[in-house]
Amino acid sequence: MMDLEQLSARAVAEAIRSKKVSSVEATRAALGRLAAAHELTNCTLSLDAEEALTAAAACDAAIAAGKPAGALAGVPLAHKDMFDRKGKIASWGARIRADQPATQDATVIERYRAAGAVQIAALHLTEFAFGPTGHNYVLGHARNPWDPTRITGGSSAGTAAAVAYGAIPAGLGSDTGGSLRLPAAACGVTSIKPTWGRVSRAGAMPLAPALDTIGVIARHVEDLALMLGLLAGADPRDPAAVTLPVPDYLARLDDPVRGLRLGIDAAVIGSAHPQVQGLLQRVTQILERAGMVTAACRFPDWQTLDHLVQLTQMPDCSAAHAAYLRSRPNDYGPQVRARLELGHFIGAVDHLTALRARGSYLRRTLKETFKDIDIAILPIFADPLPTIAELDIGGGPTLQAAMARVVKFTRPINYLGLPTLALPVPRAGGLPNGIQLVGRPFAEAQLLSVGRAYQREVPPEVARPLA
Amino acid sequence: MAEQTIDPQQEAAEASPAAGLEMPPERRRAAKTHAGLLSATAAKVAAELPLSADVDDFRRILAAEARQ
Repeated sequence: MMDLEQLSARAVAEAIRSKKVSSVEATRAALGRLAAAHELTNCTLSLDAEEALTAAAACDAAIAAGKPAGALAGVPLAHKDMFDRKGKIASWGARIRADQPATQDATVIERYRAAGAVQIAALHLTEFAFGPTGHNYVLGHARNPWDPTRITGGSSAGTAAAVAYGAIPAGLGSDTGGSLRLPAAACGVTSIKPTWGRVSRAGAMPLAPALDTIGVIARHVEDLALMLGLLAGADPRDPAAVTLPVPDYLARLDDPVRGLRLGIDAAVIGSAHPQVQGLLQRVTQILERAGMVTAACRFPDWQTLDHLVQLTQMPDCSAAHAAYLRSRPNDYGPQVRARLELGHFIGAVDHLTALRARGSYLRRTLKETFKDIDIAILPIFADPLPTIAELDIGGGPTLQAAMARVVKFTRPINYLGLPTLALPVPRAGGLPNGIQLVGRPFAEAQLLSVGRAYQREVPPEVARPLA
Repeated sequence: MAEQTIDPQQEAAEASPAAGLEMPPERRRAAKTHAGLLSATAAKVAAELPLSADVDDFRRILAAEARQ
């Protein structure tokens, strides 16, 4: 049989359509790889083997009968366990859950199902998607497939680990403060966090709706393009989902990148660990070789942005959990509990100030930061990949500072709502890490074309523990 | 009967959304300190914001960018 673990979702779909492999074979193989990935990384929260094989058999029958096949027909996928699926209760990575099964699929699940995808499992996430490291004190920590003593990043930990391992080619995640980018970087894969509002959040567990963004993690940038194209667009179930027409991201993947201006904010980047700065420089050199031109840029004061995003996020998260924090405080893990408590100390006036200022900071960023550039490059992690033990700090006094360091380069971008592509750095035999490319609103197609050019030089890898 | 007085600190504590949370004192102190730090930034930002700034500006700018 074909070496399915290496293939993109697009290539698997093509192989199924052309009957080189059946969906049942692809699904069985994916279930086997997912079991191995789970043993190594704790990436799976629940399996849907029987249901998936039934759907795969139906897909094979439809293809055999010559019926039109969707773009993901028969492709086994798995997603972060925070999306409604009809008849099921999503775990949200938590002990506290919805008390009734969902009555309909989340829009993103519905759109993948309509494209023919087969969901084989629901994947690990940090409790309530509220944590950047992959620690989960309720359901167990996720472990990195390159080195199981290291963090996976979070909160979309299971998706990144399963994708990196080659169990699935791609899957859904979400990003409120870095939850697509951090696990993509830690596991050495790619992710697209679209512009806020580009993808419907209907049926997704809300964390902080003003910031929540649904996106995709994949090994191949072409899968980000394919899968974002299926997700994006207006949705009557989510009034924040923009009605802007969806570009053909796949068709634009090979848009030329020569001459695109890559912005470098030396002051912001300068606060990263020297090793991370070195990795970012290597990626910059690769993008320069692809024809991009570097230029200096300057974001608004980074610490102010970081405070504003906390003022936006924390009360938003805490409000949703206010009742349970009083009635079931011990059902929360220590990190999430301490962070949810914090939001109760932020006043409504300060929260609304951050929301009122958001437009002004976005306007300033577009006028000043992006004045002479198309895309900005930033680190994702401030430091080389930490171990699980190093960040196993529960709800103790060092929690806020430690978490702030992990999301230092990611959460301010959520405040600005800008689209971001995460790319893995060349590992050269070492641990993975990543950088993020930040674009203007709705410039996802441009980011993806840069990602495609980058992957010509730095091809996707399948993760296995380093010797 | 003596007139009852209200301790302002007690009143503030009762009015706080965090009042009923089961938290050890050191975590409560740390949360207050952190919120104070964020509040200082909010005050600085507020001082520079025009009165006309509103929470929908962000979405208006995104919508305008989408039209370009």
